Amino acid sequence: MGKHMTLSVSDLSTCLGVSTDTITRWVRQGKLPVLPKGNDLRFLKKDLEKWAALHNIRLNLSDKKSGEKQNQADIRLSQALQNGGMYCDIAGNDIPTVLEACVNRILQIPDDFKSDLLDRLAERENALSTGVGNGIALPHPRQPLSYLPHPMITVNFLANPVDYNALDGRPVSILFCILCPSLQYHLHLLSALSFCLRDTDFISFLKSQPEMDQLLEKTVILQESIPL
Amino acid sequence: MSVIKKMTSRFPLNLSHLDDRLLLIITGIIAGMCSGLAAVALRLALELVTEWLHPFRHFWWAFLLPAIGAVLSSIYLEKIAREGAGHGVPEVIYAVSKHGGLLRLRSSYSRLISSFLTIGSGGSAGPEAPVVMSGSAIGSNIAKFLWLNDRQRTTLVGCGTAGAIAGIFNAPLAGLVFSIEVILGKWNFSNIIPIAIAAVAGAEVSQALIHKQVLFNHMPFNVGTADILPGICLAVFAGLISVFFTKTLNTTGKFAKKFRFPLWVRALIGGSVVGGIGLFFPVVLGEGYHFIQSMISGTFSMGLFITFVAVFAKIFATAITLGWGGSGGIFAPCLLIGSLTGIFFHKIVFLLFENPACASEGAYALLGMTGLISGVMQAPLTGIFLVLEITGGYETILPLIVVSAISSTMSHYIEPASFYFKELIKQGQFLRPGTDARILSDLNISELISTEFTKVSENMIFREFIEIIKTSDQFFFPVVDENTDAYKGMIEIRNIRRYVLNPGIYDMVFLNQIMDTDILTASLENDLQDVLEMMESNNMESVPVVEHETFIGMISKTRILDLYRRELIMQTSVR
Repeated sequence: MGKHMTLSVSDLSTCLGVSTDTITRWVRQGKLPVLPKGNDLRFLKKDLEKWAALHNIRLNLSDKKSGEKQNQADIRLSQALQNGGMYCDIAGNDIPTVLEACVNRILQIPDDFKSDLLDRLAERENALSTGVGNGIALPHPRQPLSYLPHPMITVNFLANPVDYNALDGRPVSILFCILCPSLQYHLHLLSALSFCLRDTDFISFLKSQPEMDQLLEKTVILQESIPL
Repeated sequence: MSVIKKMTSRFPLNLSHLDDRLLLIITGIIAGMCSGLAAVALRLALELVTEWLHPFRHFWWAFLLPAIGAVLSSIYLEKIAREGAGHGVPEVIYAVSKHGGLLRLRSSYSRLISSFLTIGSGGSAGPEAPVVMSGSAIGSNIAKFLWLNDRQRTTLVGCGTAGAIAGIFNAPLAGLVFSIEVILGKWNFSNIIPIAIAAVAGAEVSQALIHKQVLFNHMPFNVGTADILPGICLAVFAGLISVFFTKTLNTTGKFAKKFRFPLWVRALIGGSVVGGIGLFFPVVLGEGYHFIQSMISGTFSMGLFITFVAVFAKIFATAITLGWGGSGGIFAPCLLIGSLTGIFFHKIVFLLFENPACASEGAYALLGMTGLISGVMQAPLTGIFLVLEITGGYETILPLIVVSAISSTMSHYIEPASFYFKELIKQGQFLRPGTDARILSDLNISELISTEFTKVSENMIFREFIEIIKTSDQFFFPVVDENTDAYKGMIEIRNIRRYVLNPGIYDMVFLNQIMDTDILTASLENDLQDVLEMMESNNMESVPVVEHETFIGMISKTRILDLYRRELIMQTSVR
């Protein structure tokens, strides 16, 4: 069967990446090995392979479509928040102590990696503050953390607001730690989160220190409108 | 010394005043005469040494003679001349298409010496290909000496080839046709005239120096309409034989390469085998002009069966000689196998029919030759003209054309790549003018590259980058290390559109977080063919060129199309 497989004009046009008009023109000009019988043009696969080899043409006969670049960054914000969890009453008076308290509380980080993660977070804060305003900051490391099983965002409510060098100068009381095993997740989540944080209702909702379930509920509604 | 320098520096100045056509004709004459001389020298030397070795041929140890010759030849080529064995025609074709006909000076004599050793001692090979190699090298070096450009040099290579073939066979038309059909592959006005003149020059040299031309006595043949039908059958037969010959040549060469012997041991074994065959069939030894001559004139005496075996003996002897380290061409073996085939066929016809009204044995020997030459080289015109000139008359032309056409068609049907082109096609180096492969091989990456790109640092914050995008029309931004300028990755605008539209992350992201690091890159040394293949199979519109970790520029399909078209116009335009 495979030996005598034939192709139609439209099959061949996808194989060669040219339009069907081009195929019929080539047939008319006698440049393609076409089967002699029948009204509609058919091409023998074997002949085509020979022809392509002779003319040094790449023939994409295999049915395997070159799969579209899969979007591995497709993770919902609510899912990441659920992965991360929520931590209340984080102690500390300045950025390093707050961050240290955060990292120590996060369960998913293996103990061996905690000091490394802390260094990276501090380094990122030194480069440029992650305080986005309205008392919220998004601390994150610049490098992906390959030891994490899945991307996560932890919500940390501080016991006392801390001066965070934020853009609007206001002290920060909520930290969203974005921790991802790859860059794509990171960008996606960062972008989704920052979209949500433009919503003033959402911010005042956050200030009320909601329960995890309520936060997730709210996020699910909000992320539907993310234009990504 | 300074005088010579002055002279050579003044030479091109003087020449540039000459009309291009006149210049090519004059230099073509010189090239034709020189290569004609080379051809004559090899011919005479071969005749001399054959005569000198003739008394020793009767001894039992005579089979060692070709072995000694082959060993000497392979040692000479390997140690002294440092060139590859084989017949050299593909090298010439390759040089013409890839390097504008640039050949080394030593090629103009190295093959002459090695093939003299091989053939003179009795190896089964032809002197024509070595002469072609040396003729074309002579033409090429004349062009180099005179600082001519690639196009003129290619024409002179053709002139040298034509002069060589014309000189060795005393056949100017065959020289002209072979040179254009096989070596250059391009018929145009500016080529044909100098090459024709060079062929005449080569033939004149040959006639002046060799008084007794072996192959070229005018012999009248009575060939009539009755010969067309047997001619067609002979053509089919000859086509099959030529395919068999080509296949045997290729497989023997491959077979020999499997053994890890030193070259000279290989040559020793091959030579002894050929010598052994020669003890029983002396017809296989050497270039065999004298046997061909006797077959044409009808004085050849061998039985039907012996002739049949001799065809294959010659095929194997030639394949072993060439495949196992000897040096020489397939032109003369083709002629000999062809005439044996023709005579065998003639004998069959006489066996089957009482009194057939067909021409003499000699005429069929000629038809067989045409069949083999056309079949093996897939050069129908060369086959026709060569044999036409051997007969010196037009009596045989009708069956000749028929035989040539059928034989080359058959051989082309079974094996689309001819003996000369097969290696080149397999290596992707068969670059005839105006073909896609030729244009792609001529265009360099460095010609296609666009270099004006704003580079951005990997530590740049996204907000600064947005400011750059606002005023730039670039679609691609190379990201580099700010200290070492090393290439880190690419940012393609269409891939970051979703982030550009979200001001919330402008201050949150650094460029090394949004760049693509897994984009395939090319380097300046890459062939355009490979780069295009890479772009096509990965659906890329542009590809960054990175050399030693430094970003150099981008190659885009738009730019390639642009230059490709101009190159095509340049290459195919009539001078």
